[in-house]
Amino acid sequence: MSDNKPPITPGGGGAIPGPAAGAAPPSPPPPPPKDTFTVLFDGKPIEVPKHVNLIEAAKLAGIEIPHFCFHPRLSVVGQCRMCLVEIEGIPKIQAACTTPLKEGLSVKTTTEKVVQSRAANMEFLLINHPLDCPICDQAGECKLQDNSFGYGDQRSRYDEKKRQYAGFDRTLIGPHVIADMTRCIQCTRCIRFCQEIAGTGELTFLDRGGRTLVWTHDGKPLSNDWSACAADVCPVGALTTREFRFRSRVWYLEKTKSVCPGCNIGCNISIENRDFTVYRFLPRLNPAVNDYWLCDYGRFLSESLNLCEVEKATAREGDSVSELHVPAAVQKIAASIRGASPSDVFFLGSAHLSNEENFLLRKIADQIGCANRDAVVDRSRARKMKSKSEWIEGDHAGANFAGAKDMGMSPGAGGYGLEEVLSGKAKPAVIVAADAAFSQIADDPEKVAVLRRAKFLAVAARTANALTRAADVLLPASSLAEKEGTFTNVQGRVQKFERAFLPRPPARAHWELLLLLAVALGFGDRDWTPQDLRRQIQAEVEGYDEVTEEELSGGILMKKGTFVSVGAI
Amino acid sequence: MMGEKVLLARVGRADSRSIGTYVADGGYKALRTVLTGGWTPEKLTDEVKKSGLRGRGGAGFPTGVKWTFVPKDNKGKPVYLLCNADESEPGTFKDRLLMEEDPHQVIEGIILSSFAIKCRSAYIYIRGEFYLGARILNKAIEEAYAKGFLGENILGSGYALDLTVHRGAGAYICGEETGLIESLEGKRGQPRIKPPFPAVWGVFGAPTIVNNVETLACVVHIVNRGAEWFAKIGRNEKNSGPKLYCLSGAVNRPGVYEAPMGLQMKELLFGADFGQGMKGGKKVKAVIPGGASAAMLTAEEIEDCPLDFDGLVAKKSMLGSAAIVVMNEDTCIVEAAQNLSKFFAHESCGQCTPCREGTPWLHKVLTRIEEGRGRLEDIDLLERISNQMANGMTICVFADAAIAPVLSSVGKFRDEFRYHVENKRCLVGPRSDDARPSTLNPQLVAS
Repeated sequence: MSDNKPPITPGGGGAIPGPAAGAAPPSPPPPPPKDTFTVLFDGKPIEVPKHVNLIEAAKLAGIEIPHFCFHPRLSVVGQCRMCLVEIEGIPKIQAACTTPLKEGLSVKTTTEKVVQSRAANMEFLLINHPLDCPICDQAGECKLQDNSFGYGDQRSRYDEKKRQYAGFDRTLIGPHVIADMTRCIQCTRCIRFCQEIAGTGELTFLDRGGRTLVWTHDGKPLSNDWSACAADVCPVGALTTREFRFRSRVWYLEKTKSVCPGCNIGCNISIENRDFTVYRFLPRLNPAVNDYWLCDYGRFLSESLNLCEVEKATAREGDSVSELHVPAAVQKIAASIRGASPSDVFFLGSAHLSNEENFLLRKIADQIGCANRDAVVDRSRARKMKSKSEWIEGDHAGANFAGAKDMGMSPGAGGYGLEEVLSGKAKPAVIVAADAAFSQIADDPEKVAVLRRAKFLAVAARTANALTRAADVLLPASSLAEKEGTFTNVQGRVQKFERAFLPRPPARAHWELLLLLAVALGFGDRDWTPQDLRRQIQAEVEGYDEVTEEELSGGILMKKGTFVSVGAI
Repeated sequence: MMGEKVLLARVGRADSRSIGTYVADGGYKALRTVLTGGWTPEKLTDEVKKSGLRGRGGAGFPTGVKWTFVPKDNKGKPVYLLCNADESEPGTFKDRLLMEEDPHQVIEGIILSSFAIKCRSAYIYIRGEFYLGARILNKAIEEAYAKGFLGENILGSGYALDLTVHRGAGAYICGEETGLIESLEGKRGQPRIKPPFPAVWGVFGAPTIVNNVETLACVVHIVNRGAEWFAKIGRNEKNSGPKLYCLSGAVNRPGVYEAPMGLQMKELLFGADFGQGMKGGKKVKAVIPGGASAAMLTAEEIEDCPLDFDGLVAKKSMLGSAAIVVMNEDTCIVEAAQNLSKFFAHESCGQCTPCREGTPWLHKVLTRIEEGRGRLEDIDLLERISNQMANGMTICVFADAAIAPVLSSVGKFRDEFRYHVENKRCLVGPRSDDARPSTLNPQLVAS
């Protein structure tokens, strides 16, 4: 394996506090009370935490032990037999994953016996494998492929008919997952995921010996809320998702660190994109939030990021709608705001917008002395996500309601909120809705009619709904993939998402549109970036003072909490 | 020489299955001795240790020592005794005889052994096919409960034991103790990773001892007649006690025979009290001494071959379950190896890669040779595949068992394999007694 190749092992277990720098001195031994063991890998001693698996410990020592069935969050079954190593004092070769760590354990990973047993295992794994990498979606992120290159013999002495699984190939076994048993290596990761993480146990082994296959119990569908994670943990192409199948070769995809927009749990994701198109979301390791997992609902929101219905800035004059440049449209909004009394302007933030955007919107309101501002969120079906230690629950349809409130998107002193506007108690002359998709209210004709009573209705949007159709000025905004920012999740954890690609002009990120408006209203700097806004948030918003840029780039920070370091998935 | 019958003493007696005749013949005396004679579990364990009793299921591990592996402080967890009555090793049929003909001897052995490890709940895991045995055992257990040998306060001693018969669903691997435990828990019969060993973490996560039917039956006689008496039977102290041998194959009188441990193989095959020679006066070609997973022995190797644990280890084979399968000069070794490999390919549980993939591969290569489509390099290939399947490559020793017949037949009868490949037929001539549809290549049959 070349050194610059990404590691085959996903994650190292979040609990491992970073690679233990360098090696501890070989002797003398450190003082007795310690929570680490000194383990020798090929004669090189290294301090490793007591609770990690030998495979993870080796990783800390910079040694890769190839494996298939081992997964840091699933029970250890030791059945793929790929991780065989020699342990000093034990004559027989041992599976690394099932060998308990202990003080002074001496592991040998490069002996002839080890090399031979790895090659033997690869040969066994491949004799009945179809070797159809050219048409397999897993190619490029396949452990079988990687380990075959790294440890296989590249030759096979198998000259018999390969095993077939008539009726168990290319079959949809749930709403999202397609199973192809000819590629399966019987590692049981998917079975264990369904039993141990999802707790639903839809998958099982059928038959035995060389005819063993993974399938659902009694043909019931694999339909738990996290079913596509079974395809994630599958090290080969046996389980793939219907949605991503045959859409792109994985090596063409760029990965961007992001946060799932689905709900307020704020699962860390990787947006996989190419040519201004989002192809899929993959979970990004964060032991404190979503660990290695992602729910199906959030995962398959990926396609919604490619939906763009508002492509141009438009302005309505009576019944006619005309296109115009974005700066001109912003000037129109600014003019309307300036033309109204501050108490007649209403600013509506959104749980779908970042902290920076909500913050900027509040600053605009403050600038003109307006206390009428609000943000609302729809309740969604309760969603659950298994972090390393506990279930986290969320039930917001937006990812950042907590953040929007923290940024001050609530009625100020003497101001009013959305409820007063909708009930008719308050009658703003100008409404600025920073996100047209803020709630289902925006697609309710009756409620939109109430909002429409304002003399001037300005809306930024990406997808069309009743509100955008009613707007006087409509600004084309970007998707999550096209901007940078932070969300605050249900735990109060501030998490940064990064920009995968630029929005297609003339669309701009919400914060950019808002910044244009701020400048038009006479404050702010045209050159501000989300980072500048974050600095202001840190200076002004209580509880956000600990958020530093450096820590955020690691992806995660607990608001008023401790920093959690995570490895890349 | 036959010697006194101990384990089979009551087999053949009228109504041998009933508790009435068992008690009349001195049954449950050992139980009375132990429970009302002031024996402690430790004393019983020591007695069994002193007797030199080694497990009759296959591995030959000293039974008394195994019992001591139950943790002294088991943190309030119950201890379980499992009687391994899966008897799945091909060629083995001794436990079946014990259970069907003298079930109370087995039950008494179980109660005594349970007492020794302080177990309150024991199970007999019997293979699914032994329907008759399960019925007989269940009836015998009912009788034992009725007489107060099972249940609460056995014989007024305060000791309580429940015994349950559990029928397996038909898998060879459930005879492996951790596979048995998984199966008893209601899961797939797949061996567990060891350590932890069952004595620490067994069935339902509690300390568990798994003993073979014959082993447990021996405990009764150790109590009745003393450890020294038991230790004196047999070739030496490490290979002691009476032993049941399952003789099958090309002999005149196949069957289960009891003899002191260390009986000479020749005596078993040709002795007047045992096999009474080869059927039709044919010559011995090969003998499997310990069930399908033991390496084959040649006719030369069975000269001076004591049938006990160490005697067969010296011959690089094993006593296993003492299933002696005799093959005569008309047997095609290639076909025998193919037949055995088919069994192992069918019975691999499928969790470990080398065994799951290796056993069918061996079978396919052997089938090719058998059907006349072999190549000379296949003979080496068989050895190479075998060598990369076993010795720690897998969780349990199934793979080690699966390769034993292949490696021994290829190693000892290499010329026959070579003949098969070169001439596309058996050295011993066409199969005559084969009622199954021919697996031979039709083209070759025609020519």
